[in-house]
Amino acid sequence: MTDCASCADERTAGATFCEVCGRSLAPEPACEHCGTPGGVGEDGYCEHCGMLAGRERDHLETDCGAVAASVTDRGLRHHRNEDAMWLVTRGSEVDVVISDGVSSSFDPDVASLTAVQAAGDLLPAGDVAAAISAAQAAVAELAASGDPRRQASNPACTIVSAAVRGDAVTVGWIGDSRAYWVPEVGPAEQLTEDDSWATHVIALGADPEQAMRDPKAHAITAWLGADAGKVTPRTGEFVVGDAGHLVLCSDGLWNYLTDPAAFAAAVREGLREQGTLISAARWLADYANTAGGADNITVALIPVSPLAKE
Amino acid sequence: MTYTAEAFQNEFLALGATEVNAIVTVTSTGSAGGQRTAGATEIIIVDASGSMQAEGRIAAARQAAKAAVACLDDGVHFALIAGVGTAQQLFPAPGQLAVASAQTRAEATWAIDRLHASGGTAMGAWLLLAAQLIAQRPGDIAHAIMLTDGDNGEREGYLQSVLDSIAGKFTVDSRGVGTNWKVSELRKIADAMLGTVDIVASPSDLTAAFEQMMTAAMGKTSADVQLKVWTPVNATVRFVKQVEPQVADLTGKRTADGPRAARYPLGSWGAESRDYHVCVDVPPGASGDEMLAARISLVEGDNVLTQALVRAVWTDDAALSTRINRQVAHYTGQAELAETIQAGIEARKAGDDHTATMKFGRAAQLAHESGNKATSELLATVVDIEDAATGTVRLRRKVAAADEMALDTRSTKTVRVGRGQ
Repeated sequence: MTDCASCADERTAGATFCEVCGRSLAPEPACEHCGTPGGVGEDGYCEHCGMLAGRERDHLETDCGAVAASVTDRGLRHHRNEDAMWLVTRGSEVDVVISDGVSSSFDPDVASLTAVQAAGDLLPAGDVAAAISAAQAAVAELAASGDPRRQASNPACTIVSAAVRGDAVTVGWIGDSRAYWVPEVGPAEQLTEDDSWATHVIALGADPEQAMRDPKAHAITAWLGADAGKVTPRTGEFVVGDAGHLVLCSDGLWNYLTDPAAFAAAVREGLREQGTLISAARWLADYANTAGGADNITVALIPVSPLAKE
Repeated sequence: MTYTAEAFQNEFLALGATEVNAIVTVTSTGSAGGQRTAGATEIIIVDASGSMQAEGRIAAARQAAKAAVACLDDGVHFALIAGVGTAQQLFPAPGQLAVASAQTRAEATWAIDRLHASGGTAMGAWLLLAAQLIAQRPGDIAHAIMLTDGDNGEREGYLQSVLDSIAGKFTVDSRGVGTNWKVSELRKIADAMLGTVDIVASPSDLTAAFEQMMTAAMGKTSADVQLKVWTPVNATVRFVKQVEPQVADLTGKRTADGPRAARYPLGSWGAESRDYHVCVDVPPGASGDEMLAARISLVEGDNVLTQALVRAVWTDDAALSTRINRQVAHYTGQAELAETIQAGIEARKAGDDHTATMKFGRAAQLAHESGNKATSELLATVVDIEDAATGTVRLRRKVAAADEMALDTRSTKTVRVGRGQ
């Protein structure tokens, strides 16, 4: 017999709710940092050690069975997940968006969430460029609303999006979130070209290895946000010839797999070891965390095959 | 009355860093005039010592007291105290409070005409009588105005013992007329009683000063508002300071309130906005850890009016952890400005011109950088500012006592930082 903490009524063993006051009798979760039972307060911080109990966005999964799957994870070194994802399937049609908030801007988590929602809302029409343009407008508007500090350091983010219609794939992007095509054999093919300092100087003839080692390597040269200026989203389309996987991800994953062969090998290992798309996506997020988890990690896996000949 | 609290800070800390700073802005807004949640009691204390005969001070004080009485809202309980070697109640009958109405205001005005200057100065006794009268009205928004022109004549330590016994019971705004009173004495009263202190150099300005104090007092709608600060285990509050409209250190006024929480008294509130600087030392976290370093609540009794969260987020990204928060930087500068001026005045009094020049130079620089024009102008009455940007100043050979006292009393006045930058 145990007393209800709220009304001091005795409860019978195994009861879930207090018979008198109706309060839940389930033990409140203990703080994961200091272990104090029931220590987490209404605002999400432990009433004992003050540590944040975790946010909903720290780890999210979207499981669309055999059609698609995506996972986003806070990683190990950032205090919140500033990546956001959108994954919707209609039969074999897939709409997918990944956005990575720019940490040095104010409210980057709001920027990325706004971007994926604005783009995702338009993707059913299949026009990836139009969807990204809508995301640009929505993120740019954030600076003028909410916290006044947004004006000084406006919310900003990257975006990568794809619409899969049968064997036709359209991708679009701004920034350094990537889309890859991973065939059944051979190295991954990067479908996007980073809007980053490193990519820019390599295109101008700099040594790629040296450029990637530069502290500025990951500085992005195009983004979504009020201060982004006029940026035209870049797009690409293709029709698959052989079966493979379309993979979209933020730099929290590809930073640990910069070699296209290694990237493809990791995706295949995840698929082989796990069997389902969602567990493979989770395996890839775990891979990045095992490697250091220095950034937020988001990955989406979409198998695409050529249409069966009639 | 609706209250809001907002914390301004750079929550990002470098790995190993443990000091968390935030400026908490508390703002209350109400319908026109606001509605008092309690009754109000006002005590007006006028120094009637012999020295008040000089420069027509007593006549000006009579006029000012009458103006203050005219400002009293109907229904407010009030009394007038004549400050001499003892405390003498001028109005109404000894030991009683009057209820403001057209008639009692007129009666009080006649009573003020009987105020004559003869006797000593006994601030402790005056405040003690005010406290006894106020004790008749528990829960009221209680406030006193005290006017004096000279040193306290009571034995050493008596005023402090009175302040210790009455602190928190009501607020006191003190004004010194002329230049024969001690800034440190009235500041002691202002600090203990959560009020203000200022110089009224010329008796002719007394009426305006009394009207201003009384209008502000009548605008108060809550009697006893407190700042409750919760901190996690193994964290310590380094300081809690009011930093706007003026600097006042509240750290020592702490009273424990349950585990890991304490309350700091803020006095009475009207429709106004004040800023507080809270500094907390916390145990260090790992990269990606987020901690609630302090939960700041504005409370009235058991009622939580509003809350703001002060956070600590550890990061290895130096671009985030080295960001300077404008509010914290600005008010750290304003607090330094007040301390530097007071140190400069001390040094000048002690004849240490070298230190005084250095301190006033730094003060001129801080006032210039932060756009605190009022303080810059006050400094210019004590030193010649050659270059405010570099803090190059020269001590003036002749400084009017009133100017130096004005600089001293007003050194704690701060300016607000521009928002949203």
